Amino acid sequence: MPIVQFTPFSSIIQPDFWHKLTNLKIDVLKLSDDALTVSGSYSTGRTVKDRESGQEIALGCTIALGDGAFDEREFGVPQGSVRANGTFKNYNTIEDFKAADKTSLFNQEAEKIWNQILTTRSTALLTHFLLITYADLKKYKYYYWFAFPAFVAKPAWELNGEWKGAGGEFSSSQLGSIHTQLKLQKEPLAFFLVRTDTQDVSISPVEEYETFFANTPSSAQTIAFVDPSAAPDSPGWPLRNLLAYLRALYPATTSTVRVLCWRDEHPVVEGLEWRSRFGVLEVGGAEAAAAVTRPQAVGWEKNPQGKLGPRAADLAPMMDPKRLAEQAVDLNLKLMRWRILPALDLEKVAGTKCLLLGAGTLGCYVARTLMGWGVRTITFVDSARVSFSNPVRQPLFEFADCLDGGKPKAECAAASLKRIFPGINATGHQLSIPMPGHPIPPNPTSLAQAKADVEKLERLIDEHDAVFLLMDSRESRWLPTVISAAKGKIVLNAALGFDTFLVMRHGARASSVKEGVTRLGCYYCNDIVAPADSLTDRTLDQMCTVTRPGLAAIAGSTAVELLASLVQHPDGIYAAAPPPAQDLHATQSYAEQGGSVLGSVPHQLRGFLAQFRNMPLVGAAYDRCTGCSETVLQAYEKDGFDMLVKAFNDQKYLETLTGLDKLFDEGEAALEAVDWDEDGEGDDDF
Amino acid sequence: MLSRSQFEIAAKAFIANHDSHSHSAWSWFDSARPGYGFMSRTTIHTRPIPAHDLADEETEDDATVTIHPTHEQLTCKQYVVYSASFQVPAFYFTIHNSNGSPLPLSEIVKSSLFKLGVPDGSHATTFALTMPTSSFPLLSQGDHPILGTPCWYLHPCESANAVQELMREVQQDTWDEITRLVRWLEMWFMVLGGAVSV
Repeated sequence: MPIVQFTPFSSIIQPDFWHKLTNLKIDVLKLSDDALTVSGSYSTGRTVKDRESGQEIALGCTIALGDGAFDEREFGVPQGSVRANGTFKNYNTIEDFKAADKTSLFNQEAEKIWNQILTTRSTALLTHFLLITYADLKKYKYYYWFAFPAFVAKPAWELNGEWKGAGGEFSSSQLGSIHTQLKLQKEPLAFFLVRTDTQDVSISPVEEYETFFANTPSSAQTIAFVDPSAAPDSPGWPLRNLLAYLRALYPATTSTVRVLCWRDEHPVVEGLEWRSRFGVLEVGGAEAAAAVTRPQAVGWEKNPQGKLGPRAADLAPMMDPKRLAEQAVDLNLKLMRWRILPALDLEKVAGTKCLLLGAGTLGCYVARTLMGWGVRTITFVDSARVSFSNPVRQPLFEFADCLDGGKPKAECAAASLKRIFPGINATGHQLSIPMPGHPIPPNPTSLAQAKADVEKLERLIDEHDAVFLLMDSRESRWLPTVISAAKGKIVLNAALGFDTFLVMRHGARASSVKEGVTRLGCYYCNDIVAPADSLTDRTLDQMCTVTRPGLAAIAGSTAVELLASLVQHPDGIYAAAPPPAQDLHATQSYAEQGGSVLGSVPHQLRGFLAQFRNMPLVGAAYDRCTGCSETVLQAYEKDGFDMLVKAFNDQKYLETLTGLDKLFDEGEAALEAVDWDEDGEGDDDF
Repeated sequence: MLSRSQFEIAAKAFIANHDSHSHSAWSWFDSARPGYGFMSRTTIHTRPIPAHDLADEETEDDATVTIHPTHEQLTCKQYVVYSASFQVPAFYFTIHNSNGSPLPLSEIVKSSLFKLGVPDGSHATTFALTMPTSSFPLLSQGDHPILGTPCWYLHPCESANAVQELMREVQQDTWDEITRLVRWLEMWFMVLGGAVSV
C-alpha cells in the first residue's frame, strides 16, 4: 500500500500583518523578545482557473496571518475559515535570529502540542504553529520562518485503495447534511467526527470520540477535518496531528480509520461533484504504537527556493518614498524611548507648532534642529531677501537663491525645509515687524500697512504654540514678546554677540502665575530703558551679525533643546528654573530632581565661546518691564493697535506707562537693586 | 451619477442579488462614520513562477508531499468606494504576494487581475500609469478614502459618461428606483470589467 503523503502548510502573510508588527515592535515590544501568541486562519482548499491555460490550478495549503494576528479583540475568523494559533517570537538583531536554537524552539512547541493532547484531550493545539521573525524596521525588510509541527507516524500511515471523491462514499444529501451541521456550529470546527446512521449523518467534536462512537460499527465511523489542501491525492497538514491524537488516545480502535477531507465551503449545486475527498488509512505495528513518548515532529516551512530556510519580505521598494521618509524620521526618534528615555513624550515635541521670527543664521539652525525632533509645523517670518553672504552661514540657502536680487528669505527657507523633508508643513511669510524707536511714517498707507502687519503677526502667533525670537535687532523682539505674553505662548529667545550668546525662555504671564511663585522674566525684564532704535547711525560691523561662525548653530540648537525640555516638563511654561548652582545627578531620574525627563529646564543660558562655557542663569520678572508687565499687556489688550502705535512712535511712552521713568528719580538705591542684571547686558547685544 | 446614499442602496441591492456562495462575492462594510460604507471582497490571482532547480530540493520525511508550485498565489483586496468628487463609485485595490509584499506596478499590470496588460504608449512610473491622451493617471496610488490605507485606484473621471451611455441603451420606463440603481451599478461593473477581472 502506498504511504499517505500530506500537503504541508504554506504561509500567506498580508501586508497589514507587517504594519501591525512594525507598530508593535516600536511602541510595545521595543527590545523585548518574549514569546507572544499570534492567530491565523485557514479555509478549505481552493482552486483558481488559469487565464492562459484555462486549467484549474490547486492553490497551496495555506494559512493566512493578517492585521488581527496580534490582537484577540481585532481577530476575526473570515467566513468559512477556522482558526489556528501560534507562538510568535521576534528577535532584535539578524544575528540573534540566525543564531536562535531552531531545534529547541521547534521541540518546545511540539512538546506543547503533545502535552495538550495527553492531558486535556483537546484538539485546540493540533494546528499550533511557530513563527520567528526579525524586523529590519529601517529598511522595511522582514525575515521570518514558520514551523507547523506535525508528528511523524512510525510506521507510516498507508492508503488502502485510493483517494476518491466524497460523493463516492456519502450520498449528496448526507454531504449536504454535514455542510448544514457544520454551519450551525457556534465555533467553526476544524476537526470533527461523522457517524453514519441508516440514512442521515451526524457530526460531533472529536473530543467526544468515546461517547459519540460508542456502539457504532467501525464502518459507520469517519474522522473528518477542514482540509486546506486542494491536491486530489494528498490531504492537508492538519490531518497528521489528528491521526497522532487518535493513535495516542484511542490506540485500540484507530489502526484503520476512514477519513473525510472536508473541502466544500459551499454546498454543491445539483449535478456537480463535491470537492471533498475520502480515503481509508491503515497503520501497521498496531498496539506497540500506543507509546506515551512523544513522536518526532517535522514541519519547518520551505522558502520559495525549496530550501528549509527563512523567507524575507521586502516592503520598501513599494512604499511611497515620502511616506517612507516620514516613518523613518519618527522611528529614529522613537528609538530614544527603547532604552534611554521610555517616558519621553515625543508626540508632545513633534506636535508643537513653531513660529520662527527671523529666517537668518539662527532661524536656519533652529529649523533644522526642530525638524530633527520631528516637529512638523514650522513657519518663518522675515522681511529680507537672501544675499550673497548668507548661504555659507545659513544652511537653508544656496548660491542660486541670491541671484536676481535674492529670494524672500522666509519663503525660500520654507521651500528648502520641504525639499529636505517633504513631510513637513513649512510656510514662509514676508513681513516687517514694526518696532519701538522706528516711528511709522504719518501717512495712511504706512499706517494701514503697519496695522496689517500687526494683525498678521497676531494671527500667526495665535496659530502656533511656540514663538522663537531670532531677529537681528533688540527692538524687533518687543512686539512679539508682548503679543505672545498676552496669548500665553511659549517664547524662546536667542541672541548672538561676537563670541557670546543668550538663549532664554520667557516666563509665564504675571496674572497666570500662582501667588508666591517667582515669575521668570522676559528679554526686557533686565532693562531699565525701553527698547529703542539700535540700527540707525551704526557702522557696518555694528549692524550686521558679526559673530564666530559656529556660535549660531550652538545657540540655535540650545534654544530648540530648551523647548524640548520645557514641553516635556509636567509644568510646561510654568516649570521652575533650577537654581544656577544646582547640578542634576545623572544617576537619578531627572524628573525626580525637579526637571523634565530630559533634564533641567533653565531660564537663561549664557554661552561664552572664548571659554567654551555655558552658564545657566535665573532672572526674575520685573513688574515695570516694557515687554511682559501686566501694565503693558493690559494696555495692549485694551487699546490694541493704538497702544502699539504709541509705543512705536514715542520713545517715552513705554517708560512712562511702566513707570520706568520714575525709576531714575528713585535714586541710587533702586539702581543698585537691579545692578546684577546689568552685568550681562553687553552679551546679548549684537 | 449617483449620490452617496444612492450608492449605498445600489450596492446593498447588488450584493443581495448576486451569489453569496462564492469566495469572490462582494459584501458591504459599514464604516465608523454612518453613511460612509463601501463594498469589499478578496480575490485570489496567480502569476507563473519560474521553475527552480529541483535537484536542490530538501526532503524532510517521506510522508510530506514535495510541492513544485507552478504559480504564485496573489491576494487582491478590492473595494468599491464612493467618490465624492466625481459622484460615482471608484475602484480601489491592493495586491500582494504570499510574503505580504505589495506588487510593483509593472507586475500588477501583468497579473491576472488586469485584462489588457500595459496599454500602448502609456507611461508608467513606480507610482502611476498614465495614458498619453489623458491628463489623469489611469492607475495611481492613493489612500483608501475611508480606511486611509495605501491602495491603488483606477481614476473614476471617465466612468460616469461611459455608464450613462450604456444606461441610455438599456433603460426601461417600467424600472423602479432600486432596479434602476442596481442596473446602473451593474453597468459600472461592466465598464470596470473592460480593464480588470471583476
